[in-house]
Amino acid sequence: MFGNVWTIDGTGMVVVVNAVVVSAVLIGLGWFLARGKLTSGVPKGRQVLGEFATDFFLNKARGMVYDYDRDTVVQTVTPFLGTLFFFILASNLFAMIPIPVVNRPPTSFYSVTLGLAVSAIFGNLVIAARLKGPTGALKHLFWPNPVQFVSEITDVLSLSLRLFGNIGGEYMTLVLVAAVVPVGIPLILHVLGLIPTFVQAFVFTLLTASFLASGLHREERAGKAKHRVFRRKKPEPA
Amino acid sequence: MNTTLMALVAVIPIAAGAVVAAFAMRKISVTALEGMTRQPEIAQLFTAMLIGMALVEALAIYTLVVTLVLAGKIVVS
Repeated sequence: MFGNVWTIDGTGMVVVVNAVVVSAVLIGLGWFLARGKLTSGVPKGRQVLGEFATDFFLNKARGMVYDYDRDTVVQTVTPFLGTLFFFILASNLFAMIPIPVVNRPPTSFYSVTLGLAVSAIFGNLVIAARLKGPTGALKHLFWPNPVQFVSEITDVLSLSLRLFGNIGGEYMTLVLVAAVVPVGIPLILHVLGLIPTFVQAFVFTLLTASFLASGLHREERAGKAKHRVFRRKKPEPA
Repeated sequence: MNTTLMALVAVIPIAAGAVVAAFAMRKISVTALEGMTRQPEIAQLFTAMLIGMALVEALAIYTLVVTLVLAGKIVVS
């Protein structure tokens, strides 16, 4: 009845075009907020908006700094989390536009959400490898539980399915209801659909951040001093 | 396969998933509301409630995906 929900046409060009349009909008917005003179004193004008947007991710990144170099952590983690959040938020908001083909948000395709989840978990691995060294990152995948890498795979599945189900389900409901009652009820669905739009972007970013934080922290060594069974004699001072 | 049987079976996952998720979310929201009325100044309680709801809702969405896959395989004979 509603045809193929995975793509509108057979070629999948809609996914790519919509995702490119979302990225272009985001890049244009970022360029617009960052041009002109930026002061490091009291900000005014559009710099306030840019700082407000960046501040949340900066504080999240600062919460992950334990015994690493603070500047490296903050500079690596903040753009990663911020890009994920703003891309998902902008592409979810595309469902509000009343033009027919641009209407369909890129995150209502499972291919896009699977790609986002894979890149989020892979990015966690890359950041952990960059900050802890490659052996440290691999040790996190295998150490406390030898099949811990399976939990990474289920993290990918849960992140992607959650986002796809919420946004894709909302879009499918809109299409079905608008085929029956064109005026009135779709407005209510649009307004109610604003809530999962923000919540899902927030939850995706927060879960990625918590996976990253659990992957970065070193194990507690407080109670585990090395216990030698046969004590070595201390060398005599010469 | 029998179209009627498949159409009847396809609706079971989402029905069960929605009911069970609704019960779990009821408990979450009741506890969060009680906490918010006791101590209105805690800022993180609303955030924690949203995250809890999203995690429970994800389980209901897995059942929705199962239903969609099954419903996509129904061929009208």
